[in-house]
Amino acid sequence: MQLDQPVKPLVRLSGVWKRFGKLEVLRGIDLDVNEGATVAIIGPSGSGKSTLVRCLNHLEPIQDGAIEIDGFLITPRGVEKSGRLLGQREVAKFRTLLGMVFQQFNLFPHLTVLGNIIEAPTGVLGRDRAAVTEEAMDLLAKVNLADKANVYPARLSGGQQQRAAIVRSLIMHPKIMLFDEPTSALDPELIGEVLKVIGELAIKGRTSIIVTHELAFARDIASKIVFMDAGLIVEEGPPDKLLTSPKLDRTRAFIARIL
Amino acid sequence: MSFGRFYRLIADNADVIGFGIWVTIQLAIVSMMIAVILGLIACLGSLSRARILRFPSMLFVEFGRNTPILVQLIWVHFAWPEILGIKFSAWTSAVIALSLQSSGYLAEEFRAGIESIDKGQIEASQALGMTYQRLMRRIVVPQALMRMIPGILNQFVTCFKSTSIVSVIAVPDLMYQAGLIVSMTFLPMPVYSFVAFLYFVMVMVIALGVRFATRRLPQFGYFNQRHGGE
Repeated sequence: MQLDQPVKPLVRLSGVWKRFGKLEVLRGIDLDVNEGATVAIIGPSGSGKSTLVRCLNHLEPIQDGAIEIDGFLITPRGVEKSGRLLGQREVAKFRTLLGMVFQQFNLFPHLTVLGNIIEAPTGVLGRDRAAVTEEAMDLLAKVNLADKANVYPARLSGGQQQRAAIVRSLIMHPKIMLFDEPTSALDPELIGEVLKVIGELAIKGRTSIIVTHELAFARDIASKIVFMDAGLIVEEGPPDKLLTSPKLDRTRAFIARIL
Repeated sequence: MSFGRFYRLIADNADVIGFGIWVTIQLAIVSMMIAVILGLIACLGSLSRARILRFPSMLFVEFGRNTPILVQLIWVHFAWPEILGIKFSAWTSAVIALSLQSSGYLAEEFRAGIESIDKGQIEASQALGMTYQRLMRRIVVPQALMRMIPGILNQFVTCFKSTSIVSVIAVPDLMYQAGLIVSMTFLPMPVYSFVAFLYFVMVMVIALGVRFATRRLPQFGYFNQRHGGE
């Protein structure tokens, strides 16, 4: 048994700072995410959880520190590979490495559900339309939306929209999935169906980072839970440990408030 | 003037009037089609980060919006041939001036439409690996265009009315044809009254159609949502 076998992290943040003007949203974040791991980020609102996730696919540039993702390096200068700064087109390509699910779903309202899903694989990756459509219908069936393929998003419930948005990300075959409070905009009775799709389909065999307020869900699926407060990671550890016997009062108070 | 004489006057000149109506409709449609394309290009240019694109686009838009249509018409017809060394027909000058004016207004409407697109749409596109050009072409502009349909239709009504000015450079539109009839018959009162009535009916029909279409829009696919196009 080799317990100390080194696992190279797929995502590594070192000393990441993010400022909006004078507001310091991330104040030196260090975090490793191993390949295949599921990391849940919890913490009070305004603690920088969403911003952290948005820095990973460079939707937000960082002001200091570095993020390594699968051979790419994000620095305050932009996205680099082998020491070379990438152009707009290459950054776009880099982003396909990560799938992202937003709090507000962000489906394209002028396209049908199927149109939403096949837009990027055909347009960005240039994959064959027929094959992509077949895969899309397959995935839609898995999330119970097969009958909604030709419906416009406005006709769907929030839970249905979010499930479609998850399929839209998955069909790009991302190496890493990012979830930014995927159930926070949903009515309570719709949360379960979305968590089920995330747990049983989206994070299976994929490195995932999930910002969530659903602590029970986080305990079930996460290999590591990270507690953030005021732009810092204040505590991290395996779910059982962090949720049942946190080291810090801040963490304990937050968990007590949510549960 | 008795009704009988009025009827004879109109009936005798029906082909002249009819030709004028046809030219007016053609002018309005052709100018609007060009204006939609020009307006979109100017709008994308004025949103561009490259100053070399942004500055001329903004100048074009502001010039189109802030100069009188009559001045544009005369300028295009009499000054452009000297500047560019090409001779235009009056019809071409009319189309250029009308497109210039309409595209200025449309560009502003397009810009408002593009800026009204939710930022989340852009972020979702970026997260899916789309470049700026692709997300504009596939996601932002199509949504903006759909939101702009009422604005485009209203601009068409304005453009249709503006066409009457082209008679000053002898484009044979409805207004010009009316002038021809008056110079032959010396009957300005009935002829111009009838022409005013014709413009009123035509514009009214278009405006009603626009209002009807705008009200029906929310019942179609994309528009079928809580806060769709007004």
